[in-house]
Amino acid sequence: MVRSALGPQGARLNKGPRVGADYIPAASVVAGSLLALLPIVSRTGWWPDFGLLMLLGWRLLRADAWPAWWAAPLGFVNDVIVGNPIGLSVAMWAAIMIALDILDRRTMWRDYWIEWAIATVVIALSEIAHWRVAGLMGAEVPFNISAGPAILVGVLTFPIAAFIATRLDRWRLGR
Amino acid sequence: MAASAGPRPGWSRRAQYGLFFSFLAVLAGLAVGLILLILSLVAPQSYSAVRGAALDATAPVSGALREVTTTVTGLVGGAGNYWDAANQNAQLKRDRAALMRRMVEARGILEENQQLRAALQLREHSREAVAAGRVVGSSFESPRRFAIISVGSSEGVQVGMPVRAAEGLIGRVIDAGSIASRVLLVTDRANIVPARILRGGQPVISTGRGDGTIDVRPLEVGKNPFKPGDVIITSGTGGLYPPLVPIGKVIRLDDDGAIALPIADPSRVSFAIVEPPFEPTALAAADESASEGP
Repeated sequence: MVRSALGPQGARLNKGPRVGADYIPAASVVAGSLLALLPIVSRTGWWPDFGLLMLLGWRLLRADAWPAWWAAPLGFVNDVIVGNPIGLSVAMWAAIMIALDILDRRTMWRDYWIEWAIATVVIALSEIAHWRVAGLMGAEVPFNISAGPAILVGVLTFPIAAFIATRLDRWRLGR
Repeated sequence: MAASAGPRPGWSRRAQYGLFFSFLAVLAGLAVGLILLILSLVAPQSYSAVRGAALDATAPVSGALREVTTTVTGLVGGAGNYWDAANQNAQLKRDRAALMRRMVEARGILEENQQLRAALQLREHSREAVAAGRVVGSSFESPRRFAIISVGSSEGVQVGMPVRAAEGLIGRVIDAGSIASRVLLVTDRANIVPARILRGGQPVISTGRGDGTIDVRPLEVGKNPFKPGDVIITSGTGGLYPPLVPIGKVIRLDDDGAIALPIADPSRVSFAIVEPPFEPTALAAADESASEGP
């Protein structure tokens, strides 16, 4: 305490987690889902799944952003807002939490490139699941005009989501 | 950086149990999600209330944002129109003269048509629009092609009604909330429209391709009947879509069909008009036979 008071611009005194810091990660995922309400009328469905990107950004940043089972209700909110078949994100996001918990125990080393690679795999699997479910519902679209570009766009957008999650994390913890 | 080995609760028995129950809960979440997904695959109508309520809650947001963007793009576009005004004016005058000539021809054809119809005693249905609304959003994150329009069941919109713009066909309603509805666009793969070629009237089938274009194929096998520039219109077969509504314009031929661009671009149309099904009785009969079949 004394040491920080003597430091430059004593900005670290009386700084702790914000009010409701535990709920900010989940709220930012819902905010990502809400981006689907932007009045964009697109001919193709190549925009990234913003809710999924925020979920991945937080989960790869820290394992305790929310209790793992919150992924299911968050997925339900995403399904309802985006207009997916209900249950698709519920199942997929819960599966992602389980898979990343297992992966946390297996990986020996983590750096930015490994996290991006993990995100690439998860985004690809998610878009392929969307594509297959659309096929099962009667919309058999060729892979290279739907899921392919969507995976590419999602993977290239992931660093932005990871950056937002990092900044939000520092802000909510008052650092 | 070495990886953290996941959340470690330490020696606290309470924290260990908490972690374990959280794991059980996420497994339960996965199971519930799979059940919900299977239900929405085999019985898509089982969630109509939830989806309708979600549409009502979210569509006003999209609608308000849509107003802002139309104003801004209108300002930019309006400024752009002044840029090349003299050339545009000359071009428009030429177009107008050409259209005047076409209009006189069309009026002649119309009168002839009326006489022929009177001779045939053809029964015409009066077509009244159910409601008109704006296109406020779309499914830009998903491989399906949906649009959201700002009218719902409080204005009389029901699932299955065809939606068109002044320019041409947009699609049909698949989810109806009380103040907003979701429309399956003609560019969606699952939307199959019975159609014909305006020139010659040969029957064709139009299917979306999922990327903003439409795939058109002739019903009869034979020589490819399409030419680039051909206009595809609805035929009224099947009883859902009204006849003589433009769907698309052929831009490219492939081996036995063609690829067309929709004439009513949902991102540009000012109003989407919801109409009652063309032949409700025929549609009900078709539904019954479909549900009795395999």
